[in-house]
Amino acid sequence: MNIRFIFTFAWYYGVKIFSRGPSYVIASLTTPLSLLFIVYVLTQGKLVEFAVVGGMISLIGSIGLQSAGDATFMKLQLRVQEMYVASAVTPIDYMLALTMSFLTFSIPGIVVYTVLGTIFGLYNTVTALSMVFLIVMLTLSTSAIAFIISGLVKHVRNVWGIVGILSIIMTVIPPTFYPYTDLQNFSTSLIYILSISPVTPAAISAQIIFGLEPWNMAILTYSLLTLVAETVIYFAIAKYLIRWREN
Amino acid sequence: MIEIKNIMKKYGNGPIAVNDVTETMSKRVTTLIGRNGAGKTTLLRMLSTQLMPTSGTAVINGHDIIKEPHKVRNSIVSIPQEASPIGILTPYEQVRMYLIGRRFSLSDASLAARQALETVGLEISMHSPSDTLSGGMKRKMFVAIALASNAEIVFLDEPTTGLDPLSRLEVWSAIKKLDGNILLTTHYMEEAENLSDEVFLQDAGKIIERGTVKKLLKKFSGKIRVESQSPLDGSTMLGGMHILYDIVENAEKHVKNGANVKKITLDDLFIMRGVDLEY
Repeated sequence: MNIRFIFTFAWYYGVKIFSRGPSYVIASLTTPLSLLFIVYVLTQGKLVEFAVVGGMISLIGSIGLQSAGDATFMKLQLRVQEMYVASAVTPIDYMLALTMSFLTFSIPGIVVYTVLGTIFGLYNTVTALSMVFLIVMLTLSTSAIAFIISGLVKHVRNVWGIVGILSIIMTVIPPTFYPYTDLQNFSTSLIYILSISPVTPAAISAQIIFGLEPWNMAILTYSLLTLVAETVIYFAIAKYLIRWREN
Repeated sequence: MIEIKNIMKKYGNGPIAVNDVTETMSKRVTTLIGRNGAGKTTLLRMLSTQLMPTSGTAVINGHDIIKEPHKVRNSIVSIPQEASPIGILTPYEQVRMYLIGRRFSLSDASLAARQALETVGLEISMHSPSDTLSGGMKRKMFVAIALASNAEIVFLDEPTTGLDPLSRLEVWSAIKKLDGNILLTTHYMEEAENLSDEVFLQDAGKIIERGTVKKLLKKFSGKIRVESQSPLDGSTMLGGMHILYDIVENAEKHVKNGANVKKITLDDLFIMRGVDLEY
């Protein structure tokens, strides 16, 4: 693995781009912050802690998915991916480099939600470390989904619509801004269906770990294992579908 | 050295893009010419390990492109057709980033990036965002990537398409500074004549002629191309023009009759085959 390349790429394609054009990052913050506001108003503050924790999860998930646009643009429009194929860079190096860049885009959002979480007294060592773990796994898994999309899409224009739809289905509908038990009471099978999005097990795990929902070891284990398994599976599929060497 | 062995590529149910090509390319600058859709880019993408052949293979500097792509990739650099820089990043950042991908150390990458960009004439704009550069400067940035990489074999797919004549000259000058052996594709016959040690003419997926420019034009020895709006004895209508190949001694007569007389170039290889060509 070419760690030096991964971090250099993330420095240029993440930090430099963010510092030269922050609108993208600000735009990605808009939806979760708006939902946080709506949840606060509608529940008169009762579910605001869910929205603070879930907002972080939703933000990371949506930035990961939106990266499909960048990955597709770099592949089909700029032909950057082709150049790296014919070099010492491996598909895993390239995917991790782009993923690191996208994680960089998330930093301002992470800061905002961390500050909010601290104000609401949600963070201690365990919850903070758990959130770091969830952020890393979510970034990897949703970026992998983004690479799968970029591997399947034939025209850059299509990717924006696909990402918009998936972003809603995979980051807003899952129990990010409301208790997962409400969904469980409504339909248990819906939780399993929504678990196809890594955001669902991440949000359920966060709600249990942060003490927003009663401790449930079975569901926590199920959620964490699902999240890890999905990360591995989506990355394996992405490695194949990124079409490093086309057929 | 590139040894191509019965390489073939077919996309799905479409036509065969590259058809059973077996060739050896060992000159410093080898150029693939051919009309649009002749299979030049497909062949180049297979050789540079970006595309899997349907059958056959090639050996690049002793390494098989199918069995040892990683070893091949260590010794090549490929600049795709219509490659574009990441607009918000500077040429220096992009060259450096690419070199680190090729496992250059951070300091070596910085030095090589700076030197290469200076060599291609981008010393002033190397720290400007790439989207502020002209088309020629953007292409030169990619030549700088090839130059800095120190690759043994450089693949350039239509490196000057869409550039004005001056920008094209500047890119040619930069290409001439590359160290490794070069395989390039082009639609510009002048480019092929200017840069190539050997030219391969590709048509319908097959290599139909190869040789030095001089050798390829030998069949036209002592001849001129005559172009006229009105029919000439023995002329052929091609591209809305009546074209005739005649001996040099008749040049004056044709000029007097209002026809255009032109020196033979690689264009004539195409014209003889009645194919369209971008001038």
